[in-house]
Amino acid sequence: MIPSKFDYVRPSSLDEAVRALADAGDDAKVIAGGQSLLPLLRLRLANPELLVDVGGIDELRGVTDEGDSLLIGARTTHYQLVHDPLIAEHCGLIAETAETVADPAVRHRGTFGGSLAHGDPAGDLPAVALALDATLIARGPGGDREIPAADFFVDYLTTALEPAEVLTGIRVPKLPGWGYRYEKFHRTAQAWATVGVAALVQRSNGQVANARIGLTNMGPVPVRATAAEEAATGAQASRDSLRAAASRAGEGTEPPADLHGAPDYRRHLARVLTGRALAAAAGV
Amino acid sequence: MELEHSFTVPVPEERAWEVLMDVNRVAPCMPGATLDSVEGDDIKGRIKVKVGPIAMTYAGTAHFAERDEQNHVIVLEASGKETRGAGTASATVRSTLQEQGAQTHVVVNTTLNVTGRPAQFGRGVMAEVGGKLIGIFASNLAEMLAADSAQPADSAQPADQGRADGEQEGDLDQRSLESLVLPVRTYNGLRRTGIHTVDDLAAQTREQLLAIEGIGPASVEEIRQKLADRGLTLRESPVSGNGVAGSAAVQPPPTVPAATAAEPATEPVRPAAATASNAGRASDDDAIDLLSVAGAPVLKRAIPVAAAVVTVAVIVLRIRVKRRKARG
Repeated sequence: MIPSKFDYVRPSSLDEAVRALADAGDDAKVIAGGQSLLPLLRLRLANPELLVDVGGIDELRGVTDEGDSLLIGARTTHYQLVHDPLIAEHCGLIAETAETVADPAVRHRGTFGGSLAHGDPAGDLPAVALALDATLIARGPGGDREIPAADFFVDYLTTALEPAEVLTGIRVPKLPGWGYRYEKFHRTAQAWATVGVAALVQRSNGQVANARIGLTNMGPVPVRATAAEEAATGAQASRDSLRAAASRAGEGTEPPADLHGAPDYRRHLARVLTGRALAAAAGV
Repeated sequence: MELEHSFTVPVPEERAWEVLMDVNRVAPCMPGATLDSVEGDDIKGRIKVKVGPIAMTYAGTAHFAERDEQNHVIVLEASGKETRGAGTASATVRSTLQEQGAQTHVVVNTTLNVTGRPAQFGRGVMAEVGGKLIGIFASNLAEMLAADSAQPADSAQPADQGRADGEQEGDLDQRSLESLVLPVRTYNGLRRTGIHTVDDLAAQTREQLLAIEGIGPASVEEIRQKLADRGLTLRESPVSGNGVAGSAAVQPPPTVPAATAAEPATEPVRPAAATASNAGRASDDDAIDLLSVAGAPVLKRAIPVAAAVVTVAVIVLRIRVKRRKARG
């Protein structure tokens, strides 16, 4: 379907983009890669009056080493995430996950920031940002603001971003020595995850010293599997004990019911996938 | 999909039941809802749904499929079509009231079906959205019922009297706008403006009626005669001399308060109440006559009216004070 009528601006600087958004009020949307927004426009599920294209703003691109953390520009595409040497070295989980996002065409257009700002709980990267305890940086009329990933995802397709704010970058901590894994179950390669699990594990002396688990599509927002995290922390780094910890991955979740699975089925998937992800992350 | 919500409100079951039967008060509890018309049991309206970048408007109808006063079950069926697409949505909302001492426990069970573009989208978008909407609806309803109970302090007695009276139906018919048998155009114009009863109508001035689309001098004359047959008159035009303040007090013909759907709990003025408050001031005699005819049920129904009178009076006073200040 052809989208409803809308205006389009392509500012060349961040401040211009913020001004355009502030002037337009509620009915403006930022467009970056457009891989989530365009389908919504074409289905006429979304009818914004103004699209502010941040594709011309180069300062939103690229990865910077900040010492203990990496600053990833919001406009960095999935393809770049997969191939960036800094990310490969310090944040392998992001590269591994980005490689599973949809298909090559989408990965070349779609961006890290766009995936987070869209706030789709079935998107892969929000759960990863949550598991990494990333910090999201937004520029608004009042300047820059830092939002912890745990506070960023407010509700279904709804984030903490104000209408006039642009997500500029994502700060992710380097986690040296941590193992990681993103496990995802989906119907076809391009489909949204029925359930996805991002696991990070720090080992010491054959035990799990620290575990972090982010769940994709297990509620209206990406969630942490806190019960399973607690059970895994301090456990033996063995398949059996990690599987036991993973059996608590569905606790406290309210997964959606749709064509691809009922809530109980999704909780089952979460348990199985968490077991696999923890084992892989722990290297057992 | 099936949804269940429940809440407890600090009002007796009978009060909760009454409020739940009043479409004009229940509809604004639905976030994004606008009432287009209410005719008998049939309600026409629209719901605007907005989630993140997604915005859709459904237009449709709703009606009470079941009102089981014995078991205190209300079933509302609603179905709508997207205004900009071929999608449809339908819902069956079943409210069950349980008395718990002076409180009422309300359980709202909803069956929701959505077809069309959301299905193309391939995921449970509308299920997600629908669940959220019903959740907000239930909490708004709870708030409204709670706020309702907090307002009229002098309402306990009439409510008790009402319980003894079983002849509500016949009394209601006499007061309904339908009983006047007005021309369709006139009738619809009045209903659109929020005038649902003979009392509402009698509370209008000639000028207010003329301001309604579809009503001209001839229609007003007809209304006047039909009211005269019942021994009623239209409200007199505001007294001259204090024209500004007077017009502020009576100016807006009551409208269905659906536009303010976002804050139903703070919107205590239902249309009938707004006009009845005017009537109260204009002619006390009429009010007393009506009460002797309709008896306790009317008194019971006057509880929200009483609340509204207070609210309107406060607002009017404030406006007057402001105007005086502005003049001084």
